[in-house]
Order: sequence, then C-alpha cells, then structure tokens
Amino acid sequence: MPEYIVEMKLITKKFPGIVANDDITVQIKKGEIFALLGENGAGKSTLMSMLFGMYEPDEGEIWVRGSKVKIDSPNFATKLNIGMVHQHFKLVQNYTIAENIILGVEPMKKLAGIFPYVDIRDAGRRIEKLSKKFGLEVDPDNKIEDVNVSIQQRVEILKMLYREAEILIFDEPTAVLTPQEIEFLLDIIKGLREGGKTIILITHKLEEIKKVADRCAVLCRGKLIDILDVKETSTRRMANLMVGREVNFETVKKPAHRKDVVLKVSHLTVKNQEHFEIVKEVSFSIRGGEIFAIAGVSGNGQVEIADAIAGLTKVSGGTIELNDTDITNYNIRRRTLCGISYIPEDRQNFGLVLDFTLSDNLALKSYFKKNFSPKGILNRGEIDRYGNKLIEKYDIRSGQGVRTLVRSMSGGNQQKVIIAREIELASPFMIFVQPTRGLDIGAIENIHNMILQERDKGKAILLISLELDEIMSISDTIGVIYNGQLQKTAETKSLTPKEVGEFMMGVRHG
Amino acid sequence: MDKEKRKPTKPTEKMNLSSDSPGISFHLLANEKWQPITIPAFSILLSLIAAAIVILLIGKNPLNAFLNLLQGSGILPKPSYAGYKGILTDFLSLLNAMTPLLFASLAVAVAFKAGLFNIGVSGMMLTAGFTATVAVGYSDLNSFLAKPVVLIIGIGAGAVMGAFVGWLKYRFNINEVVSTIMLNNIAQYVFGFFINAYIVDPVSRQSRYILDSSRLTLVNVEYGGLKMDIPLGFILAIAAAVFLKFFMDKTILGYEIKTVGANRNAAKYAGINVKKNIILAMVISGALAGLAGVTYYLGYFSSIQPKVLSSVGYDAIAVSLLGNSNPVGIVFSSLLISIISKGSTYMSSIAGIDQDIASVITGLILLFSACGEYIKFKIRRLNDRQLERKESEA
Repeated sequence: MPEYIVEMKLITKKFPGIVANDDITVQIKKGEIFALLGENGAGKSTLMSMLFGMYEPDEGEIWVRGSKVKIDSPNFATKLNIGMVHQHFKLVQNYTIAENIILGVEPMKKLAGIFPYVDIRDAGRRIEKLSKKFGLEVDPDNKIEDVNVSIQQRVEILKMLYREAEILIFDEPTAVLTPQEIEFLLDIIKGLREGGKTIILITHKLEEIKKVADRCAVLCRGKLIDILDVKETSTRRMANLMVGREVNFETVKKPAHRKDVVLKVSHLTVKNQEHFEIVKEVSFSIRGGEIFAIAGVSGNGQVEIADAIAGLTKVSGGTIELNDTDITNYNIRRRTLCGISYIPEDRQNFGLVLDFTLSDNLALKSYFKKNFSPKGILNRGEIDRYGNKLIEKYDIRSGQGVRTLVRSMSGGNQQKVIIAREIELASPFMIFVQPTRGLDIGAIENIHNMILQERDKGKAILLISLELDEIMSISDTIGVIYNGQLQKTAETKSLTPKEVGEFMMGVRHG
Repeated sequence: MDKEKRKPTKPTEKMNLSSDSPGISFHLLANEKWQPITIPAFSILLSLIAAAIVILLIGKNPLNAFLNLLQGSGILPKPSYAGYKGILTDFLSLLNAMTPLLFASLAVAVAFKAGLFNIGVSGMMLTAGFTATVAVGYSDLNSFLAKPVVLIIGIGAGAVMGAFVGWLKYRFNINEVVSTIMLNNIAQYVFGFFINAYIVDPVSRQSRYILDSSRLTLVNVEYGGLKMDIPLGFILAIAAAVFLKFFMDKTILGYEIKTVGANRNAAKYAGINVKKNIILAMVISGALAGLAGVTYYLGYFSSIQPKVLSSVGYDAIAVSLLGNSNPVGIVFSSLLISIISKGSTYMSSIAGIDQDIASVITGLILLFSACGEYIKFKIRRLNDRQLERKESEA
C-alpha cells in the first residue's frame, strides 16, 4: 500500500486572465483530515474540483492509490471512491431523504422477474445502517424541504457514504451552520476519520482546522504557500500565511455614542404566504450611532423583519416608527425618501438589475430626482457623472466603467455597488442583511469598516447576519431571534458567542 | 478584493473559452456591444442560406429569386412596367403593407420591455379596426375629420383592451399569454358575428367597404403618370418608433418599465410601482396595436373579413425579436419581412417559383430570429459559466 492515497503533482489550472492553481503539489495520507486553507479566490475549490472531475488540470498529474488517473467526470471520481459535499447542496427539494440519497444509484429489483422497480425499502435499511454507524441520524422518509440545513448537510454526507466514498471532500461545510451545529459536524468528521475515511476539508476558518485537522495546506492567490502540521502551528501564523500579510483579528472599533432613537419597532407581526406568523410580536428600538444586530439561524424570521421595515412585506400587526413618524402604512418609495437604506440579502435578485449598466444601477433609487431627470427626462450625462463619482469614491472595479453590465462584475464589486448606492442616499437608518456573504476576507474587512463609519456618522444600523463572528465583532447591541420571537436583547459586550448560540437554538431563554 | 478579479476583461477576450480557438465570427458575435446588430444579421444570413438551399432543391436559381423579391417590392427597378405603374408605385405599396406590421411589432416590443408577452395584438387590431369601421367608416364626416377620428378610436380601443389585460395580470395574476389568447378568440368570433349580422357585403362575404374619406391610405393618387397608393399612417408609424426609442431610453417612465421588465423584484425593492408600470406598458402596447388595426383594416384594406384574425399580430412577435425589441431595429426588421411578402408575387410570376416559397423564406427568417435569441442566450450562458468559475476559485 502506498503511503499517500491521493497525490496531486505540479497541478496548474488557468482560466482566462487568472491562474487559479500554479504548480501545486499536495499529498494526502490515508485516514487523515487534510485541510485546505485560503481566502476566497485562493484556488482551493478549483484544486478540489479537479480531484472530483469537474475540471481537468492544464498541467500536472493526479495519482490515486498509487496509480496515475485521468479524472474526467464526477462519475469517474465516484468510481474511485471520491465524494464531495458542495457548498451549495445539490438536493431535490421535494424528494425524500432516501430518494435523494439513492438518486443515480437506485437499487433495482424485478417484480415477478420482469418489471423493474426501485427497491426503496432496501435503500432505507442501508441508509439507516450507515447513519447509525457514523452518528448521522436522519429520517429517510422526510422531504428535504421540511428539514433544516444541518440535516440537509447530513444527507449530502450520507449520499457520499452510500456510494462507498473513501475520500470525502467538504467544501466550506460550516458556512451555513450555527456554532452548536458546527461542533456537531466536526465530531462527525472526526468519527469518519475513525471509520477509516480520508477527509479533505476546504475552509477559511482557522478554529475549525485547529480543532480537527491533522495537516493543512495554505493557498494564497493560486500558489501553495506551505503545508503545516496543525498541532505545531499557531492560529496567528496560519492566518498570516493565508492572507500574505499581518491580519487584524479584531476590527478596530470605537465605543458607540448612542444618540436619540431613530427606529422604533413595536409588536411587529408578519405572516407568510401560508398565513403562518413568521415574525411574532417583535419589539426593539435602534438609536443613532448604534449597530443593532439580529442573530439567528437562517429562516427564523430575521429577513422578514428587514423586509417589513423596508416595506417589501406586508405587516399584519404592530407599528414601525422612523424618527417619530409612523411609517407602517407607507409604500416603499415613501419609506426610502423618509430615510431608509436597505442592503438586501439577495443582491442579484433584489439589490441589482443585472442586465442594466453600472450607472443605471447606482441611480436605481434616485433616478427620479430633479438633478437626474428634470421634467421626467433622464439626464444621462448627469447619471454617468454620478456613477463615475461613486466608482471612484467606493473603489468599484469594472471592465468598462459606468457602461459595464453589472452581470459581468464579480460578487464583491456587485455588493459594493449596492452599498455605495445605499450609503449615498444619506438615510438616517440603514439595514444590512448578510452584507458579507460569499465575500473574501479583504472585502469583508472593507465592508465592516464602511458599516462602522456610517455608525460613527450617527446613523442607526440594523445588521442581520448568519455569521456570529461578524455580529460579535461589529455590533453594539444584539437581539437573538428564534422562531420569530426575540429571545434576548442585550449589549454585545455582555454576551459570549456560546450564550448567543444557545439563544439561537432556543435552548436557553432570557 | 483579490488581485485577479481586478483585471478588466475586454469583451472580446471574454469568449476565449478554451484552448481551441472558436474563430473570428464567434468573437464578433460574442462582443456584447455589437450583439444587437451582429446577432440579427447572423440570423438573417443563416435564413437566407437555408432559403437558398430550398430554392436550389426545387431547381431554381436562388440569386435570381432574391433579386426578384427586391424588384417586386420596389427596391430595385423591374425591367418593364405596366401602364400607370413604376418603381415608386411598388415602393409605396410596400410601405402600405409595412405600416400595420411596424405598429404591431412596436406593440409587442413595448410589452416585451416590461417583461410581458403580448400575443393579443391580432385581437386588439381587430377590435380597433371593427370599432373604427362601425363608428366612422360609413359616416359622412369629411376627410379631414374622419381620418384623425379613426386614429383616435384605434388608439382608444386598443388601449382599453391592453389596460384590461394589464389589470387582469396584476389584480388576479392571470398570465397575459393566456388572457390575450382568450381575448383573441373572443374578438374574432364576437366581431365576426356582428359583421355577418349587420355590415356584411353579400357579394364579397366581407364587411362593406368603408368610404374613402375615412381610409388612412389614399388610393389611386395620380402623379407623374403613375397611379399610387399613399399610406398616410406610415409617417405616423415612423414617428411612433422614434418616439418609443426616446421614451424607453430617456424618460423616467421608460426607465421604470424597463426595470420592471428586467427584474420585477429589484423594481419593487427600488420603490417602483410595479402594478402601475405593468398596466402602463400594456396600455401603450394596446394603443400601438390599435394603430396597427386601423392602418390594416382601414388603410391597407378597406373591409374586414369576418371570423379571421390577421396574421400580422403573430408575425409581429418574430419581427420584434428580430429587431431586438429596439424600435429602430424593428423599423428595419419589419421592412425586411414586408419586402419578402410584397416581392413574392413578382418572384412567382417571373422566376416561376411558387409564391408559397416566399412564405417559407419569411418563416425561415422568423424561425432563425428566434434562434438569434437562442444564440445570445447560449453566449451569455457561456459567459456566465466562466464568471462563475472565476468566482468559485475559492
């Protein structure tokens, strides 16, 4: 038996304008947890996509179990017992868990020796056995749409195990989980190692690596920086290697100077389309110069609160007051003009018109104002000038300046477009929902600084995020939401992440 | 932001999909800036090649056939003309046929900009044509009053029907494709009944001919030894195209309609009144369809055939696609389609190619124009996929 189960030798992969992987060599031992650490865009996912057969390397060789292989499709990777859990789950929402797991490898039987059918019962038994063995309890008859993200992830893991995967690749598995769920997942990963599996963990979270990984390869801008023994390396050193410079772990944050109450939400109740109360009797207020964060597991009503305040969702009870004006029955445009800026969660479907140019998107909330359209006729020159001003001021990078179609821009720059537009509205109250999702460390730092700057200008800010780290590091006050109700509202300083996590799971009550 | 993403990619470089070069034509097509011109041109080229193959298959010379099309439609001179006829006669006759098609295509384009598929142009045309015929067509109003009144009635009837479709859409969320198809059927049979019951001409089995005073085309005007039909509506159609271009690109209302069409969620988020814009777009679309109706039934023709919907409203969908929903593009695409249908009579008599072949050519162009959208879609998908790859290099 060779020492290494997977060897990727001198791998180079180029995309137009980018060398995604530059001469990378990694060797992975059987039965270890091998981590790939790097910022977004460092080339981690590309490297693993080649091992999983989604791309082929331009140069270099891949060896599995001591023999050279050419992995040209995920199917072939599966044959080599390689499995991958993608960042975005690939599950059929209205199929049951069992159906999802067997999809593509259905156990067939023949009724009366002629009519073929899928033996779902046998599959169910196998799934139960597997889930017992690795501590991945699921109910195979539940539909995917009825179970939470953490269970969905277990289904993805079971899918690999069902296909007898020996080498398991996890792509940013903890991004969608709560702290408690993360702990649980890391235990599962350790359990898989005990069961003789080899695990490759793609992540940019250092604590996770520290907790479970044996060895760790650090990638930076497509190059392999170093392969480290995790036990003997400090977290700080790993971070510095990953970013390529000294990192500030703490966001520099001045103490909050709270002013008058800007936003006051009282007994807010919102019903969803099925008339289910997704937000129940929520009350809170935000002062100028304060960042109020709502922490919670995805789907507990936090986005609906933001939509209700911005006017995108109807309120079924309670009031919303902005600077002592009751805006509960105002339409969206009127609320914007009263002073609400909104950075929505779904930037591509709500925040931007992807097929419009950069300047049109920057003017999306002000095109009707006198300076842009005197007498109802758009002044294109003025809109472009304004666009150029914001491009400069917010360092928005694009191919063709104000004429660039926003569709062709990178995610980080798309987010900058929205933030620039919303800050320029100069509203006294701003809503940020998941402002840094999917962005890399550099961009995150930048956006956090912008949010803090707005706070220091005296604005009231509502931050809704699924990243607990983000909430702990930049908010002044935290409201924890569970099942549509605020469980706890307190100064950020007075809470530990563990406590917040417990409130988020509804296991602790304020 | 990481360094790699900062590099602006030139549009031509974007399509460097793989190591095997995709060729110059592909680069040209991929350049988004020129796509509004290159893709329709490419579609037309494909369709002409396909048409040439069809003509070759029936043993005729395709180049001659295409030449005959141009001669028959008054673009190129014929070798000889009958009495009172000339190239100008043919050309004006071409414009006469083109006018309703241009209006109808603009109607489709406006709705399309708002993200709506107006299949009901034919029904709206019939409604407008019937209403104007009954109200003005047989009245003794003088010419200077009758013609504007016909136009106003056409606009009004179409707009009301468009507003109704828009209202159904936002009030009851009824898909406009379904409601317009239904309204087409209703218009076809209801007005068919009234024509047969009250204004039918027993000989022609059509509605009685309207008086010339209310007709929007001046017929048999003698000038310089020629007898010509002068389509007054044509000038209005061109003006409508120019106005629409301005309206869509330069006004607040146009910007809002386009935003609603491009991304309804983002429009709502930006505080745009989505309902108002859906209705507004359908009202404009209906008004243009109404103009198509009166220039068709009270201009190009002067009577209505009962229980038959004109194909103009359906051709307009493809003409609008071929013109990229751009009013200026539509002027050219409707001209092209009109040339082929107008020139076909001459082509069949001179080259002995059956007139149906012209319909085949038109069909091919329309088919390929739909493929133009497909080509664009394909190219955009490839572009997107590349962007995604760049993004996913985590």
